[in-house]
Amino acid sequence: MARADTLARARELDRPQVAYIVRFPAADGMRDTELTWAEMDRDAAWTAERLRGHGFAAGQRALLTASGFEGFWGRSVIGALRTLKVTYGIAEAMGWDHRRTAVFHRELKPHAVIGLSAETLEGLSGGADIGEMFRATQVVLARPAAVPVLRQAGVPASLMTTVGPALALECPERAGAHVNGAEWRVGERDGGLFIAAGEGRGSGLPETPLGIAGQVVTGRCGCGSHDPRVLLTEIN
Amino acid sequence: MAGDRYFEPQVETMPRDQLRAWQQERVVELVEYAYGNSAFYRELWDDHGVHPRDIRTLEDFQNRVPFITKDMVRAYRARTKDPFGGLLCVPPEELTSVSSSSGTTGDPEFFAEIWEDAPPLVTAQVRDLWEVGLRPGDMVLSPPGTFRNFMDGGYQALGAVVVEVDTWLGKMHEVVEAVRTYRPAYLQMIYPQLVELEHLADKVDLKEAFSSLKGASCAGQPLSRRMRERVRDDWGIDVYEYTSAADTGTAWECREHDGFHLWEDTVFAECLDIDESGSREVADGDVGELVATDLDNRAAPLIRYRSEDLVRLSRDACGCGRTHARMWVAGRRGDETLVQGRSVVLRDIWQAVEDQPETVAGVFQIVRASREVDELRLRVGYDPELTGDVEALAGRLGKAVHERTGVEPVLDLRTEEELLQTMTSVAKFPRVVKS
Repeated sequence: MARADTLARARELDRPQVAYIVRFPAADGMRDTELTWAEMDRDAAWTAERLRGHGFAAGQRALLTASGFEGFWGRSVIGALRTLKVTYGIAEAMGWDHRRTAVFHRELKPHAVIGLSAETLEGLSGGADIGEMFRATQVVLARPAAVPVLRQAGVPASLMTTVGPALALECPERAGAHVNGAEWRVGERDGGLFIAAGEGRGSGLPETPLGIAGQVVTGRCGCGSHDPRVLLTEIN
Repeated sequence: MAGDRYFEPQVETMPRDQLRAWQQERVVELVEYAYGNSAFYRELWDDHGVHPRDIRTLEDFQNRVPFITKDMVRAYRARTKDPFGGLLCVPPEELTSVSSSSGTTGDPEFFAEIWEDAPPLVTAQVRDLWEVGLRPGDMVLSPPGTFRNFMDGGYQALGAVVVEVDTWLGKMHEVVEAVRTYRPAYLQMIYPQLVELEHLADKVDLKEAFSSLKGASCAGQPLSRRMRERVRDDWGIDVYEYTSAADTGTAWECREHDGFHLWEDTVFAECLDIDESGSREVADGDVGELVATDLDNRAAPLIRYRSEDLVRLSRDACGCGRTHARMWVAGRRGDETLVQGRSVVLRDIWQAVEDQPETVAGVFQIVRASREVDELRLRVGYDPELTGDVEALAGRLGKAVHERTGVEPVLDLRTEEELLQTMTSVAKFPRVVKS
């Protein structure tokens, strides 16, 4: 009885291949694309490699701040953390929940904070010195608007962002956020980023301008990865 | 759907004597496990002269094992600097995740979690979601927050596809559009969203928009009678309320809408009258405090946890055929306010607030520094589009509250939006606040 049996029963159901319909802002409005279970597994494996590059290892703790509609990348991060045997705490990325982030940070002393938002920082800054709070955290992967705030406060934050339906993560080189080149094709046109699904991606998302100002860097990164990297005008 | 109403029929309709026998077996194991692995329980039970060898039956458990409270866990946490308050029964590195309570009454409390396919809270909702009608291939909009971890895994366990839509406050127009586009079968809602929908109702055909829904759930605070009728009758949404099962899980309404089902294979629930002299089990149907014991949590089980929720329990089989106990929430211990010695309860204020057209959404809070006060301070949210004269509203509302409670309130009227923005939790709009 209880939860394990409930899930065992659930596994007998004839479930669809698709896990999520991911909606994302594009240059001409909201678009959507499907995300399958197999793709989520591959995304999680790629994310695990990226986090390993940040020194994530078994037994550590991380704090993930995310919103309810961000499961499409949040679950890949969680999958990666599980692979790496890193326990995660979870708080909302919205500003009103900053106190929960503060308590998790104070009590669990996480090795990493993932998904930190400018709204959370704004909330925290009312009662804490942001620099003092996060300088001791080994890895801070922050959203675009939070990165300059953190860096100004002396925190060597790395960028994590979404590029349409794809997750982009900066490595410790901090030379642009990596996008999984095996799954996505990213590029720039007229100073704006676009994305298209790679061949293995079931959705077949065509080239879609995103309305995000930035550049794409190709070639080998100092971390050894050949994934394309996005540099957002907003933070460079 | 009648033929497959139950997700786990053998469990959901299990005869109560079998259920009780199963609970006894689990409780006896749990006491030994917690004593051997939790510093908090070992210390507490040693202080009370309780040892696992003395606990062989549910009666032993109820007679010997002491209650715990949130304050006791907080005190242990403060004293030992253990973030889990000594409750943890496994090494911290074995945890998959740590979620937390809303923290409306202090620092959030941590919930240690070990799981595979989906986090524990939403896994315990799978049977309820099945009862709502969720089936493989159905669409579900993402919930307003991560609440106690991402909820998606529970929906997806049933084969639902999650459509990523920002459903947080202020977005209901977009949510309605998304409902029209994706035709979801299920939607998780919170009370302030319903208030937003109320404002959209004159401009949008909500009944048409929501016609794809098999059901929607709503948690965080009870729906008022009037709001419930509005949602069900005017918008055509079969709304299922659910509430906390004393932090061990949740308890949902079934399609009978007659009480919240506890899943008693995951929780041993007691309904007790507790005072300084001791505790007594109250009869089914009488109000008592819900005391809960986790039966399916090896990370950090709550054992005889006083929830402060005042409830009525019934162990009679429900009209749906399920045998697990049902619960009706009467309020929170301590929510009663004494104004110069006169008792004022939330229900009476709610009724007075709802009776005014401008405040029909029932957005209000009692502001008090302590339970006993000299004046009844009420903060009430009004709909500015329906409010021509705030002074006149204050006059009518003050009179209505006085008629129902016998107390003249001190009113602080704000727009609903302004008041709802003070929410510090995805799940709860606090009815009693300190400032």
